[in-house]
Amino acid sequence: MTKISLTVNGSRYEREVEENRTLLRFLREDLGLTGTKEGCGAGECGACTVFLDGLTVNSCMVLAVEADGRKVETIEGEARDGKLSPIQEAFRDNHAVQCGFCTSGMIMSTRELLQRNPKPSVEEIKEGIEGNFCRCTGYQQIVEAVLDASGQLKEKGELRHA
Amino acid sequence: MLHAFKYAAPRSRAEMLDLLAEHGERAKVLAGGTDLLVNIRGGNMKPALVIDAKRVEGYGGLSWDPAEGLTLRPATTINDVLRDKRVRTDFPLLAICGHDLASYQIRNRATVIGNVVNASPCSDMAPALLCFGALAEISSARGTRTVPFTEFFTGVKKTVLAKDEILERIVIPASAAGTKGEYRKLKRINGHDLGIVGVAIARKGGSLRIAVSSAAPVPVLVTGLSAGSTVDEAVAATLAAVNPISDVRCTKEYRLFMIETFVRRLMEEMK
Repeated sequence: MTKISLTVNGSRYEREVEENRTLLRFLREDLGLTGTKEGCGAGECGACTVFLDGLTVNSCMVLAVEADGRKVETIEGEARDGKLSPIQEAFRDNHAVQCGFCTSGMIMSTRELLQRNPKPSVEEIKEGIEGNFCRCTGYQQIVEAVLDASGQLKEKGELRHA
Repeated sequence: MLHAFKYAAPRSRAEMLDLLAEHGERAKVLAGGTDLLVNIRGGNMKPALVIDAKRVEGYGGLSWDPAEGLTLRPATTINDVLRDKRVRTDFPLLAICGHDLASYQIRNRATVIGNVVNASPCSDMAPALLCFGALAEISSARGTRTVPFTEFFTGVKKTVLAKDEILERIVIPASAAGTKGEYRKLKRINGHDLGIVGVAIARKGGSLRIAVSSAAPVPVLVTGLSAGSTVDEAVAATLAAVNPISDVRCTKEYRLFMIETFVRRLMEEMK
């Protein structure tokens, strides 16, 4: 066991962890933050995407011990004071959530994309979420949600795809 | 659940080299973890000790020296390379190959050195490094040696690294600055995927270089080309240098066909 201390969504935690525990398992099972999902467990699907020191990573491929002294942000930190973030609202308004399993990771990748590119094109959006698989939507609604979150949709709430 | 191991996060290169000298036989170096942790999870690797390279002082970032060239270190991520202005202007092929590696969040963690140490035949970074004539600077408690990348890979998932050694620096010679290049990677989907074949081309002055991934046990540099080589000569030399297999992703014949197609297209684009 190794003792680690880290910040998760602004709160400080100190815990003893097994060296082979992934950050994903640590967040879900030790801290009870189950918004972050495990899909493939091997870096293919992106359901486990979280921020580590300001950059998105697949938390299934990060050891909890590696996060010692670092800052982690998860989907639980996205809404503030009980109010959804603009990205969450755009996902809701554009029907970008079906089963919801990919949504946490999708929103983390969207936040990172919009931080570095506030007005991404459709191609840039597709590339920004290429590491996040959705098996329900066919991605169209998600792309529209990201366009909406970046203020690039004129007819908000309209069904644009057929 | 991952198999159990101990974890060490040395702060200095002396500590790193001592740990490797003592435990190298049963240790693995962790950089981005995007190959290592998948290998541990899959039971392909069972290290007793995982040594994190990311907290070693001087192991991060990339730097430029006009005499020596561009240096990449054990914790230099693919996205560090893609964000670097000098890479984009002077070594664009490195950025093009890096951009084709996996997905954005994986590029935030995956390192260039990890990609070549993993020594997969489908390494995306190896073709660029081969075209640039890059050097591998390898260290252990016994000393430091330099190996050109043409000699670094020895087989599928095999390199010249001994158990107590670490690839501490990749040096791309300053003379390669200004090389124009392109990379074509055949994938099943437009998003992130392992390559079925990959062809890189690089031109500077009188030199023409072509390197191919997923077409032999190791990434291959085609020899005997020059700026005056014709398209047919480039195709013939490339096909003579590769030795692809049929596997779960495609047949040997399709690989050869696509290698030729990519070489022809790249030669046209990069006239």
